[in-house]
Parts: sequence; structure tokens; C-alpha cells
Amino acid sequence: MIQNTFKKELKELSRDGRVRISFLLVILLMAVATWISKNQYSATNEQYKEAETAERHIWEGQGEKNPHSAAHYGTYAFKPKYPLSLIDHGVDKFTGTSIFLEAHKRNEAQFSKAADQTGLARFGDLTPDFVLLFILPLLIVFLGYNAFTKEREMGTLVLLKSQGTSVWKLILGKWLAIFAPVFISLFLLFVVAGIVLSNLKDFGIFSWESLGVLFLVYIGYYIIFINLVLFISSKVKKSGISLVLSLSAWILACLAVPKAASNIAESQYPYPTRQEFAASINKDQKNGIDGHDPWNKQAKLLENKVLKEHNVDSLEQLPFNFDAYRMQKGEEHTAEIYFKHYNHLKTQFEQQSSLYRNLAVLSPFLPARFMSMAIANTDYATHWDFADAAEIYRVELQAFLNGNFAENSTYGEWSYRADESTWKNMPAFEYDPPELSETLGRNTSNLVVLMVWILVSFSLLFFTTKKL
Amino acid sequence: MITTDNLTKKYGETLVLDNLNLNIKAGHIYCLLGANGAGKTTTINLLLGFIKPTSGSAFINGLAVSENPKMTKKHLAYIPENLMLYPNLSAVENLHYFSGIGGNNLEKAQLEAYLEEAGLQASAYHQRISTFSKGMRQKVGIALALAKNAGVLLLDEPTSGLDPKASNEFGLLLQKLGNKGVAILMATHDLFRAKEIATHIGIMKNGQLKQEFVADKITLAELEHAYLQTMDYKELAV
Repeated sequence: MIQNTFKKELKELSRDGRVRISFLLVILLMAVATWISKNQYSATNEQYKEAETAERHIWEGQGEKNPHSAAHYGTYAFKPKYPLSLIDHGVDKFTGTSIFLEAHKRNEAQFSKAADQTGLARFGDLTPDFVLLFILPLLIVFLGYNAFTKEREMGTLVLLKSQGTSVWKLILGKWLAIFAPVFISLFLLFVVAGIVLSNLKDFGIFSWESLGVLFLVYIGYYIIFINLVLFISSKVKKSGISLVLSLSAWILACLAVPKAASNIAESQYPYPTRQEFAASINKDQKNGIDGHDPWNKQAKLLENKVLKEHNVDSLEQLPFNFDAYRMQKGEEHTAEIYFKHYNHLKTQFEQQSSLYRNLAVLSPFLPARFMSMAIANTDYATHWDFADAAEIYRVELQAFLNGNFAENSTYGEWSYRADESTWKNMPAFEYDPPELSETLGRNTSNLVVLMVWILVSFSLLFFTTKKL
Repeated sequence: MITTDNLTKKYGETLVLDNLNLNIKAGHIYCLLGANGAGKTTTINLLLGFIKPTSGSAFINGLAVSENPKMTKKHLAYIPENLMLYPNLSAVENLHYFSGIGGNNLEKAQLEAYLEEAGLQASAYHQRISTFSKGMRQKVGIALALAKNAGVLLLDEPTSGLDPKASNEFGLLLQKLGNKGVAILMATHDLFRAKEIATHIGIMKNGQLKQEFVADKITLAELEHAYLQTMDYKELAV
């Protein structure tokens, strides 16, 4: 009976012109979105590769130079693109693509795509994740809103009931008839995407495993929508009412709750303004050692300590350049201050994320969205991870430069020039995103919420619908 | 076989079926006459198990409907007043689906044979139901009863809205089924058709079975007179 209902429903759906048009539109939208994304990302990636190579070339070709001048001259850490970011753009558009690494200062990522766009960007972009997260659930609404109401309205329900039809088998047959086309379409789209992504040049390391998990997340997300839409259809008498209720559920889940969650999280755990953030860093810096100021109180204390440790009377007697040593100590102090303040930001971010996760019980969109971005390495957590890796590299770079300055010159020898081979000895910045297992571990709560949504919606559909 | 034993249905204080006792044997065609609200459809719904009786019992082939709702449905077929099928599917596909969900998956040739037996023209077998007239849809309903090999057929005003030819054809089909040993209960307003095809006729009013006749033992005029008398249309019952 399940098979009979499944086949019958599929036949009916395939013969319904509206369904055919909707499916074609979704596939067309997906194809266009993927094509646009692929072009954008190919261009971005090419620029990224060019910029990275050029920047390294500039760094290595500085010639003879004082290491501290090189530290101020700086370099860039470029945020790599990952294959799955083509499917889910996540927050990449807003977070910036590169971080300028220089002495004494931790900079934020800059050159975000959003900053370069015009006001038209307010309309949003046509991206694969937009189609997957918003449009496909809408298609499910159109496929399933009248699954049961049409039986009532056409009068076929009476005949079905007179055949002694088992309600759960009828529900399962109808469920499968909606699930199957969604599953097959998504499967084919992901396989095509996988083949395209795995063949893109210079597009990072592609993982079929991650793509598979992403596929499962979306399948779980669609199962929830299928369950909710069929549940509504089984409970109301008219197709019109079922459509309105299903669309309301879609609006609530995909638009209203995520926006509300964002506002609530922002108001509960606000980030400091840029001015406040800069002011608190400046305040802490003033209380510590200034690597450039030998008359600074902390610098003087350091000087006395070092002289005592080396049992000498003057800085000139030290076996290294104290200016560079002091600058390194100043650098370490500054890094600690940045670490402290950025950690505060991260705490706020964690608390916002935690609130989001709690609010995910109101909408399956939230856990699906977070999981999708995380697996695609386009979420905030990955951006933080990249920013932290860039900061660690900056600290190492400063230590390398100050170390070179300290070891190869004497106190007051500002005329020291490191030779041109020096710069090559500092390896280029490289960043590897978190492994899939780490990402899944970090998103366990989202995974659990998604599973709970699936179980609850299945229970709603199958255990509360005893008769039609 | 269809049996009801003091079958009673109340909605709140309203009595819609009052101690109905029926005994329709295999091969009998029982036509239940009565005005709207007489309790004909309620009787059929109780036999189908769509509603539960307030008291009394209904039996299909000896099985109590309220205790064996699924099993009794395996023995019966039902044709409502306006048999609705899936408009985007053909007659064969509809028949395949409905017989399939009853656990009877049939081959295309078998399905076509049942449609032929039900009197549907061959050119319509693979046409979509959306193009069918009511008479054609009722024939698909008969084919479903044939395919199901149902021992009991319940019909709720199946000939209303049919033209005389279609109604006549439908009546002949029912007689054919009756001759095969199917117990048939048909609720109808159509006295003429009832007299033509039935073996037994009952007249209902206000939920009560007022009179019963053996069809052969009564003329159409006598049946009409009895009906009008029962309905209190005495001025018409001359």
C-alpha cells in the first residue's frame, strides 16, 4: 500500500503542470546560482592567488633593511577560499578577505565583498545556499500543502477510507512521494557540485566527506519541512488554509525567527563599538611597556632587570641589542592586550552563538544554517580561527624580526641592515581550516537540535494523525 | 451478507437511526428508500465503520463492523453518490491504485477486463478521469467492486444525476453483481430504478424502517403509493 500510494502520488505530481514548472524553476535557479558562484569564486580565487604570490614576492624582495622597518612595512595574511564555500557563502561576504600584519598592532580583516558593493546589494545575492535554505523548503510547501486536503476536497478520501486504508501507510506513501524527488534532485545537484568542485584548479582541498555531511544536513532540514507541511495538510480541511499555514510556518522558520534571534542575541550580548574597543586597548597599552620609548616606566624597569640578570652596568655590555629586546617585550605585551580584548569579543560571540543555538528550537533553519556554514568553512567560528592564526603568525613574525635585530646588532645600532636573504627565512603564512570532525564537534548542539526537530516533526506527523 | 441488529445512532439528543434491523443475504439487492434525513446515509456510514453506533451492531459477512473495522472493509465495496477518483490518473491507474491499497495488486490486463465487465468502453481505459462523465466514473466504481471480489456492495444514491440510459446500464450491472452472489444495499430516491433492480425494498422515515417489501410482490404503483403514504404525502397517494 505504501508503494501504491508512493507511485500514485508521484504520477499525480509529475502530471501537475504547476509542480513541473516549480521544479524546473528551482533547478534553473540552482544552476544559475551555482554558475554565478563558480564565476565569482574563480575570479576571487585567482585574485587571491595573485595577491598572495605578489605579496610574498614583495616581502622576500625587500632587500637590505632594518628588521624593525620590515616589521612596520608589514605583510598580508590572505584568507583562503574553500571548495564548499561555493555552495554556502556564509558570512564570507562580510568578514573581509585579508589581514594586514604589522608591528605593535593587531588589525582586523579588511576588503570585504559587502564593503565593495553598491546599495543594490540590499536585495541580496542569488547563491546556492539561498536556493537550498529558502527556495527548496518553499517548493516542499507547494508540493505537500494539499497532500491530504485534496483527498478531502476531491472526495477520494471517502473511497480510500472504505478500502480500509491504514492511515500511517497512507502518510508514509505520501511522505515518500515528496521526499523522493527532493532527495534525488539534491543528490544529483550535490554529485554534480562535487565533480565540479573536485576539478576546480587552486580551489583548496576538496572533501567528499564534508560534501556528504552537508548533503545529510540539508536532507534533515527538508525532512522537517516535509513533516510539518504534511502535518498541517492532515489537520486542516481546506487546501487554501493549509497553504496559508504552511507558508506561515516557512516565513516563521526561515525569515522571522532568524531575524528575531539575531536581534535578541545582539541586544543580550552586544559587541563594544569600534571606538570603545580601541579606547580600552589604548588604555591597557599605556599601563604597559612601550617598545619604542626607552624612558617609559616599564621599559626602565625591564632595563634594570636585564642589566641585573646579565650582571653588567650598561646596555652596551649586553650580548644583544637591548633596543630590539625591548621592542620584542613591548610586542609581547601588546599581543597579550590584544589577546585579552579579542577574547572578550570571542566570549560575546560565544554567548551570542549559544543564544542562537537555544533559539534554534523555534526554527530548524538556524541549526541547518549554522551547520551548513560550519561545514563549508564560511562561519564566524572559522573566521575567528583564521584571525587567531594570523595573529599567532604576526607575533611569530615580530619575534623573528626582533630576534634578528637583537642578535645581529648592538645597543643603539639602528643602522643595522638585515641582508636580503633574511626575509625568506620566515615561512609564508599558511592557514588550514578546522577538520570536519572538529567542526562537527563544535556544532554538536546544532546537530542535536536538528535531530530533535526531525524526531519531533516525525512524531507530530505519525503519532498525532490517527484518522483523516 | 449485511446484517444490522437494533442499530441506533444519536447525535446528542437527536435520534437519526432508530433500532434498524436489516438482513440482506448474498445475491439480494436491497434498496433503501426515503426522503433526505431519513437515515439512509447514516446506515451506510455505520456499515462502513465511518461512524460508531450509539447502540446495536452492524455486521458484514458475520463480522461486527465496530470490532473488525479493517477486516470488514476487505469484504465490501462502496460507491458514493458522486464517486470521485483522481482526475490526473486514467481509469486503469485509478483502479490499480484503489485495488492495490486494498491489498490486491492486479495486472493491466486484469484491470482492463474488470473495466470491460463494468461496461466501460475500451477507448476510455487509459483516458484521464478528468474527462469522464459521472456514469463512467460509477462504472469504474463497479469495476473496483469486481476487482476487489467484494461480497458486499454499499451504494449511496449512485444513480442520482445519471441520464436514463446510464441509469439503466448501471442497474443492469448491479443485477449482474447480485446474480454473482454479492449482497447489495443501495440507498436511493429513485423508486422506478429500485423496483427494476431490487429483490427487496425498504422505506425509511425519521431513522426508522417503516415498511419492507419483496420487490416481486409489489407493483411500481403500489410501491409509490406506500412511499407517499409513509412520507405523509396522503393527498398525492391516490
